[in-house]
Amino acid sequence: MRARISELAKRLQSREISAVELTKAYIDAIEKLNPTLNAYVHLTFDTAQKAAEQADQMLKKGDAPLLCGIPMALKDNICTDGLTTTCCSKILKDFKPYYDATVWEKLKAHGAVLLGKTNMDEFAMGSTSETSCYGAPLNPRNTNYVTGGSSGGSAAAVCANLAVYSLGSDTGGSIRQPASFCGVVGLKPTYGAVSRYGLIAYGSSLDQIGPMTNSVKDAAIVFDAIKGGDRRDQTSVDYDYGSSLAESLDRDVKGMRIGVAEEFFDGINPEIKSKIEEAIKLIERNGAVIESIRLPALKSALPVYYIIACAEASSNLGRYDGIRYGYRTSSYASIEEMIVKTRSEGFGDEVKRRIMLGTYVLSSGYYDAYYKKACLIREEINREFDAVFEKCDVLVAPTAPNTAFPLNYKGASPVEIYLSDICTVPVNIAGVPAISVPCGEDAKGLPIGMQIIGKKFDEATVLQVAHFYEQSAGKVIGDYEGGAGI
Amino acid sequence: MTISKTEIEKLAKLAKLSFSDEELERFTAEFDEIIAFADTINQSIEGGTEEIRNVSARMVSFDDLRPDEVASSLPNEKILSNVEGDNGFFSVERSKK
Repeated sequence: MRARISELAKRLQSREISAVELTKAYIDAIEKLNPTLNAYVHLTFDTAQKAAEQADQMLKKGDAPLLCGIPMALKDNICTDGLTTTCCSKILKDFKPYYDATVWEKLKAHGAVLLGKTNMDEFAMGSTSETSCYGAPLNPRNTNYVTGGSSGGSAAAVCANLAVYSLGSDTGGSIRQPASFCGVVGLKPTYGAVSRYGLIAYGSSLDQIGPMTNSVKDAAIVFDAIKGGDRRDQTSVDYDYGSSLAESLDRDVKGMRIGVAEEFFDGINPEIKSKIEEAIKLIERNGAVIESIRLPALKSALPVYYIIACAEASSNLGRYDGIRYGYRTSSYASIEEMIVKTRSEGFGDEVKRRIMLGTYVLSSGYYDAYYKKACLIREEINREFDAVFEKCDVLVAPTAPNTAFPLNYKGASPVEIYLSDICTVPVNIAGVPAISVPCGEDAKGLPIGMQIIGKKFDEATVLQVAHFYEQSAGKVIGDYEGGAGI
Repeated sequence: MTISKTEIEKLAKLAKLSFSDEELERFTAEFDEIIAFADTINQSIEGGTEEIRNVSARMVSFDDLRPDEVASSLPNEKILSNVEGDNGFFSVERSKK
């Protein structure tokens, strides 16, 4: 059974179940399934039990928020005061942050119950979660396949009902692509909509935190709770969304203008293409107007993304010097040697590759040809998106060109894996919001995700279209049997 | 373009990383492919108009910064809780005798 925040909240608020009982059910399920799935890398059961007791107190008083007492998970790059947070990297081994990320501070105030920190690609760099220093999480729908990445553990935890919802982070698709691979909902909000204070930085002009859930309504409930400006994150914006987005989902798509850009469908697996086309037809039958649009600059989106993200990463990861955080090499003769050895031993291959690429594109003689050029094309992509949203309310596209890869997929070079981010990176480059919703399965029974992309700070329309599709399409993927039963 | 081992070594130095000979062989081959991928940016559309070229200048604005306010910061002992701290400082081995 797929857990829903709204349904569980009703049962908690009517005292049919207690937060302590609900938390216990999730802990039992994690103990049973996590040794196989590897969705969680740090478990926080003691804190969860205490939080559940406090939530029960809040619930008894009445008027508790919807998220009060709901067991959830955080990606391992979101700082939690006193609780191990490693970005799944050896270089942050045993690191305990000394402050809470704003998103976690907000959720705690809502009475959230944190079950643990979830597995991910090291420093969020990857599309399969296999670069984690703890080994890959497995896709609960078929454990021979990857969860996607980088928020793979967060997706697996929600899919296998080992958390009611989770937070992930999305720099180039890291919420939406694993949501698509595991058959859950993943929302990447507008750049600036959610504070990133306490999110361990990867590509700062692209990173954004968002919810991973079992329904669009749940994504809206979590987004309502975490959004908002924060003086500790200069890039955050205190945008006035009006009333609760979760309460304004019921709008049909009649007259809505849905853009479809052929560039998003180039090289897409035919099974995926046909499922997305079916979904578009369903939306059209319900009165939406389909607009065929062009986004020519999208063909440059992938190199633009990798150049900008890696440039920012090479700078952001400069702080891991063996002095201020976690891991330090055991023997060294000079400070320089300590820094170089610590970094070379502490970072995995993919992180090193990206630091090297970032260093290369920022280095003297190459800056103009790569980094500056990427920034210019980024502006062109932005302008194309702005122009498209003059004509359309949302865009519909596949989330990924493929379904989940087999584990340890051999023969894939780093670049082949980069190419699989083709549908998600343009959204981060443009800073617009997008959601991935399940829209079917391939012949192997692996979930397919559809992306709905909106204009900046128009999460409301993105969520409304996604909710409408989810409600009208009905059951598009099989149920996951297992997880917490309550 | 192809990248030489010497260039990779220079980059590694800038990035404060070191590679064994075996790693260097592998990284050089992979890096060639990655640079070829990054190079596809140069086959794409031209870099836009003068207006776009000035965008980076417009992105950095110091006009709307909030005023500085004195506030409490994190306690030293918490910040040092993850590392070998010594009397409220980060400590490393003595490097000059």
